[in-house]
Amino acid sequence: MARLNTRAITAGLVLAVLALIVLAPMAGLLNLSGIPGYEPGDLRFWQSSYIRRVLFFSLWQALLSMLCSVLPAILVARAFASQADFPLRGLLLRLFALPLVVPAVVAVMGVVSVYGSGGWISLGRSLYGLNGILLAHVFFNLPLAVRLLLPQWQTIPPHHWQLGEQLGMNAWQRWRFLEWPALREALPGVMLLVFMLCLTSFAVVLTLGGGPKSTTLEVAIYQSLRFDFDPAKAVVLALLQLSICTLVAIVTLRLQRLPEVEIALGSVSKPVAVRQKWLNTLLILTAGVFVAMPLLSLLIDAFGGPIWQVIGTTRLWQSLVTTLFIGLFAALFSVAAGWFLLQYSASLSLAGKTSKAQLIDLAGSIVYVVPPLVIGSGLFVLLSPHFDVFAWVYPIVIAINAVMGLPFVIRSLGPALRQNHARYHYLCQSLALQGWNRFRYLEWPLLRQPLGLAAALVAALAMGDLGVIALFGTPHSATLPLLIYQQLGAYMIPQATVTALLLLVLSLTVFWGLERVIGGKTDA
Amino acid sequence: MYKVLRFFGGTLLALSLSFAAQAVTPTLVVYTYDSFTSEWGPGPQVKTAFEAQCACSLELVGLEDGVSMLNRLKLEGGNTRADLLLGIDTSLTAEARASDLFEAHRMTLQKSSLPQPWQDDLFLPYDYGYFAFVYNKERLDNPPTSLRQLVADEQGPTILIQDPRTSTPGLGLLLWIKKVFGDESDEAWARLSKRIVTVSKGWSEAYGLFLKGEADMVLSYTTSPAYHLIAEQDARFAAARFSEGHYQQIEVAGLVRSSQQKQLARDFLEFMLSDSFQSIIPTTNWMYPATLVHTKLPADFDQLIDPSPALLLNEELVASKRKSWVNDWLEVMSR
Repeated sequence: MARLNTRAITAGLVLAVLALIVLAPMAGLLNLSGIPGYEPGDLRFWQSSYIRRVLFFSLWQALLSMLCSVLPAILVARAFASQADFPLRGLLLRLFALPLVVPAVVAVMGVVSVYGSGGWISLGRSLYGLNGILLAHVFFNLPLAVRLLLPQWQTIPPHHWQLGEQLGMNAWQRWRFLEWPALREALPGVMLLVFMLCLTSFAVVLTLGGGPKSTTLEVAIYQSLRFDFDPAKAVVLALLQLSICTLVAIVTLRLQRLPEVEIALGSVSKPVAVRQKWLNTLLILTAGVFVAMPLLSLLIDAFGGPIWQVIGTTRLWQSLVTTLFIGLFAALFSVAAGWFLLQYSASLSLAGKTSKAQLIDLAGSIVYVVPPLVIGSGLFVLLSPHFDVFAWVYPIVIAINAVMGLPFVIRSLGPALRQNHARYHYLCQSLALQGWNRFRYLEWPLLRQPLGLAAALVAALAMGDLGVIALFGTPHSATLPLLIYQQLGAYMIPQATVTALLLLVLSLTVFWGLERVIGGKTDA
Repeated sequence: MYKVLRFFGGTLLALSLSFAAQAVTPTLVVYTYDSFTSEWGPGPQVKTAFEAQCACSLELVGLEDGVSMLNRLKLEGGNTRADLLLGIDTSLTAEARASDLFEAHRMTLQKSSLPQPWQDDLFLPYDYGYFAFVYNKERLDNPPTSLRQLVADEQGPTILIQDPRTSTPGLGLLLWIKKVFGDESDEAWARLSKRIVTVSKGWSEAYGLFLKGEADMVLSYTTSPAYHLIAEQDARFAAARFSEGHYQQIEVAGLVRSSQQKQLARDFLEFMLSDSFQSIIPTTNWMYPATLVHTKLPADFDQLIDPSPALLLNEELVASKRKSWVNDWLEVMSR
């Protein structure tokens, strides 16, 4: 029981810090009456047809984008799972981590290079609208969903496959009785995460959406905080977005079914029919080409660009170090916070307190939908009277990125940690294995692979982040995404492309490194 | 032991000296936009030139854009470290004035290259430019010669513009059309909207898409072709001259009321109007310097179009109508 209490306390601390980082800034923004020239607008604005339209559009495009990303991702992940010997498998899976790190503006350029009027597969002007939004969102999220779903296949015990074979199950039956139950544990969470990522999408939707018809709630929040300078309105809209996501999350996570726990050791090569093999190869190649094309266009542009001129500047290397620093620290804090939350949630769910466990999961997941602009501005209001905020830019940026990365940790580490806890908790208790020893001898060897993925995802996300650092402004060195943005803003588009390529190489290295160092030698 | 002591003593001495040096060297903090502070922006040269004459340290803090700067200042209120704000434009000055965060500069603009007289006790201009549609001469033979022609011609060129809610040029076009079409602006937008390929968040996205060949023209500045001419020796790009004139953007700086170093801040404003600052502007900010005579501009600026007459709406009118105009625009564009 003592362990449970320590778990509750650490998780409680994490939740308190989370609440402080997410909710305190909103309170700070609501309490701005003393500011000259600021009159709070009419808060009944949410009845306006503008907000209703924006709300409808945000949800609609997020739902469509989510479905278009996650449904194919199930097929692709399944293909990857059954083709363990597929050549280039490891490389492809790492490639699938890249879209996460591409700053939105660079991704837009990549998508346009492929599907724009001069592109390889030209959609002409019909790209701008729902088509463009969906293409870009699938580019971002399909690979992510594949990465998050794939480990579920490894949780299927080998003797299940053998049993299935003995019973003469066909492909459909195997899917229905073996794979689907395993998938069901992770799928709702992944759907929720992708839905949130698409809901809060901003520059992609605005630029590829063709015009203000395609306005998301995130744009409206940005507009009210910046353009209208109405912080109260921005906070109310942010709360609206948070409540909608909470509702969606409650419904989605209800669908989550935890499979009965069995010990799965080692993997067994599953019987794969020749026809199935061809289909799998086709699926993997299609997804690979789809993800690779925008990145390839960037690569081609970059190699035609002034590589030496860009590499020769000291600013670039400073930015590279700053970016790396932010990415690694955000990953460290995010994974640590996620670890403590998940430990408590797992122990609750083992004790049969499922709804309480889901509530923790929920709290860690939905923080993503509070716009960084709101958090940042609010923190500013709260901190600037007491601190020199500029001296604290990096810690603040790391903290916000760690919070934004938390849902990725919950999704990538959650299922494995929960299963592990269910399998071994009682054993650990009977062996009095706890604390550091439990981590060292039991959890680390079994969970290092998902831990590596979680850290790699958060690091990639933080390294590609533009919003938070641009918001604070800094007299010191910029991050690589900010540098890209500065170059784009100064007509230096070829230079920006080269910098973007360097950012991709850096992220790929970090992703690969973290997966390797933390995750160990096994392939993903 | 003695050596160790001497080492620590030496370090301590060095540290205290550097603190003392900091104490006598004041730091002037200027909030500006990000592209001003970037490596290729005016920032580095401005910093070197000013620090050579001021016995101070100049700290340029780059924020996203003019709106962010002003909002930041409002959020910080009296606690701001900023002594000066550099980089808000004439569509924001009324709002900045109303915030009561600025103090009179008490200077006169002695020489000005602005097309209009400058009377403003709070803000001093450092550069200006004009919005224009930029095109590639190899791809578009007959660019429209007026804003009315661009709007009316249904077979006319496709365009890329920016969103007035998120971008300065985007708001500029909204005001340009308001100035030219007045009460008929909604109809003008409705006609034009069919040829708008997309409305981007910021200038960079639209310009990037234009260079990728996504549309015939992009909303930018009359001075944009100068970048391609001077930095890339590329003469393919030009701005279309519109007979009604071009909407103007004047960028200004203002002295923050809560500053503890007003004399130093005024010295900076003085420096800002001098030739040494002004001559940095054309090829780093790609705008017209506010006080430098046009004969001192780089030679390639001669090839740019003559944007006269300069169009500018009264700042009070812009401040009071901005929101409702943007709402009208949203209504028309969402149909």
